Amino acid sequence: MTLVIGAATLVLVVFSLWTGTVSVTLPDTLRAAVGLHTGTAADFIVGQLRAPRVYTAALVGALLAASGALMQSIARNPLASPDLLGISAGATAGAVGCIFVTQNTSSLALAPWAILGALVAAVLVIVLGSRGRLEPFRMIIAGIGVNFVGTAVVTLILTKIPDNIVPQAYAWIVGSTNSRTWEHVRIGAIACLVIVPIALMLARGLRVLEMGDDLAAGLGLRPGRLRFVALTVSAVAAGLAAALVGPIAFIALVAPAIARRVTRSPGISVAASVLMGAALTVFADLAARELLGSAQLPVGLYTSLIGGPYLIYLIVRSKGAFE
Amino acid sequence: MTTLEREPVRLGATARRGARSMTPWLVAALALLVVAVILSLCLGARAIPLGTVWDALVHYDPSNAEQGVVRESRVVRTIIGIVAGAALALAGALTQTVTRNPLADPGLLGINAGSALAIVVGITAFGIRGFGGQLWLAFLGAALAGVAVFAIGGRGAGMSSPVRLALGGAALTAVLGSATTALLLLNPDALSAFRHWLAGSLIARAQAPLGTLAAVGLVAVVLTALITRSLSALALGDDSAAALGTHPGVTRAAVLVAVTLLAGLATALAGPIAFIGLAVPHLVRGIAGARLGWLFALSLPVGAAVILLCDVAGRLVARPGEVAVGVTTALLGGAVLALMARRLTVVTL
Repeated sequence: MTLVIGAATLVLVVFSLWTGTVSVTLPDTLRAAVGLHTGTAADFIVGQLRAPRVYTAALVGALLAASGALMQSIARNPLASPDLLGISAGATAGAVGCIFVTQNTSSLALAPWAILGALVAAVLVIVLGSRGRLEPFRMIIAGIGVNFVGTAVVTLILTKIPDNIVPQAYAWIVGSTNSRTWEHVRIGAIACLVIVPIALMLARGLRVLEMGDDLAAGLGLRPGRLRFVALTVSAVAAGLAAALVGPIAFIALVAPAIARRVTRSPGISVAASVLMGAALTVFADLAARELLGSAQLPVGLYTSLIGGPYLIYLIVRSKGAFE
Repeated sequence: MTTLEREPVRLGATARRGARSMTPWLVAALALLVVAVILSLCLGARAIPLGTVWDALVHYDPSNAEQGVVRESRVVRTIIGIVAGAALALAGALTQTVTRNPLADPGLLGINAGSALAIVVGITAFGIRGFGGQLWLAFLGAALAGVAVFAIGGRGAGMSSPVRLALGGAALTAVLGSATTALLLLNPDALSAFRHWLAGSLIARAQAPLGTLAAVGLVAVVLTALITRSLSALALGDDSAAALGTHPGVTRAAVLVAVTLLAGLATALAGPIAFIGLAVPHLVRGIAGARLGWLFALSLPVGAAVILLCDVAGRLVARPGEVAVGVTTALLGGAVLALMARRLTVVTL
């Protein structure tokens, strides 16, 4: 089933590269997508405009889904996700702070700040959400609080940034894949190559952990340390995603849940989640590009408009079942 | 079922509190409000001495620039702040009481976001820019959002998990906020006009007729006064309350109307501001205890004072510019919420 999702993702990527206001032939698309020179418009349209965007979207989706899958596994709670718990907000605050201080908007410069912001937010959520040990519902309340503070800090810094980049600034708040470049793709690819395997390794231990701390300890795992490492990796992944495109809401929440439903697996499946995240983000990016014609709304808005109702559906369905 | 309570209070303290008169506290709250008003009129990008402020109000001299600042912008700001702050605090107190949920707040529950979206839809789709029309839209948006969030989080019967209501509110805020941002991004002129309002700001954006404000506020306050008794009875449970002669359904509907009026009014004036409704009732409850009448009465001046102080802080911190009051309250309130996460005792049944 995971392979099916992977195949679907690939098809979606190709489709996204192929469609658009300027039509290009499929063979040209495929050639330009891998960097081969075709001598047609496809070189620019696909190679320079669409491909970086779509690839970035896919990589970011994978990172976010990995982050969400890890966090949901740790919290044993389908509603735990870096964007609800303020970690994405912290990452954005770090990134925006970097822009404000260094006037540099390249992703390479933003990444460390975003990761730092994400880690600070994660620490706050952990500290405020534990009474001795990390309690899921308390974590959620603390997370909502940290989220609001993080968003407020972002808004605050954005009001200090020069007026000429106000629309871009707004796109930052909601997450955008507009005008991504190959630099973004490179960073995203490296990030994925590092994070996804680590996440897969952690996933095995986390699945055992879902059966209970004592049982896991009996099998030779160290629950506290495993949770700590997984949470760190999750925050770093969310931070990197935010550094590349800003905070894209709900992918981290929704992708693991849908993946689990589609693969009918009893626990969180990191591999399926990662692929599903890529697929969802590419789809949202396609919608952002094509749905409203000339009006290009940031992709983060589309993920919110889809993911929000889905979250509501999850909440309504889970009557009292997530303490 | 899990409920959240505040940490248990020693019985002696309660008894002492019950015997204490509340009037001195009301006087103190009003005094705090007066201080906040004075600060709001005097402080800002330019610090204007109290004497000049007094002159501006009483012996207005049009040629004096400083008096002009006071009269033109600061007085209006202060009035807007008082109305919005009081309204939000009362709305929060009402919501917390009827849902028996310490996390309820019109901003957190997405009610203000609903008002904001309705107003923006009115502007972008129908070109409604007059305050009167926007006020009605704000009521509509608040009502719809209120119904939606209670449907999500469980009917407002106190049986809903507080966390579920808060999460439902967060989700609703995200969806409605995204829709609002989307509409504004598609209409750049609207965006530039509403950028500040969207962050929550006391700057007078439209000519708000004082008469309308007074009328709406009065209706809401009178309504609250009328149902205070019923609300206290409701805390005993629906059946006991019915036995005591109150109608639970009617009372809850009245609360929804009052909250709609208050939240809609505040949002139409000052944009979606969160956390006043969350933080102020908690502050006041520490003094008023379980006496709803005093809780509501004290929330009004304390709410007004808190928002004015946040606004003053925003003006001082970023001279000569300012930080939107919505940002300051979010910073304050987010901290409050995060700390509450630590303090609250969980009772699992």
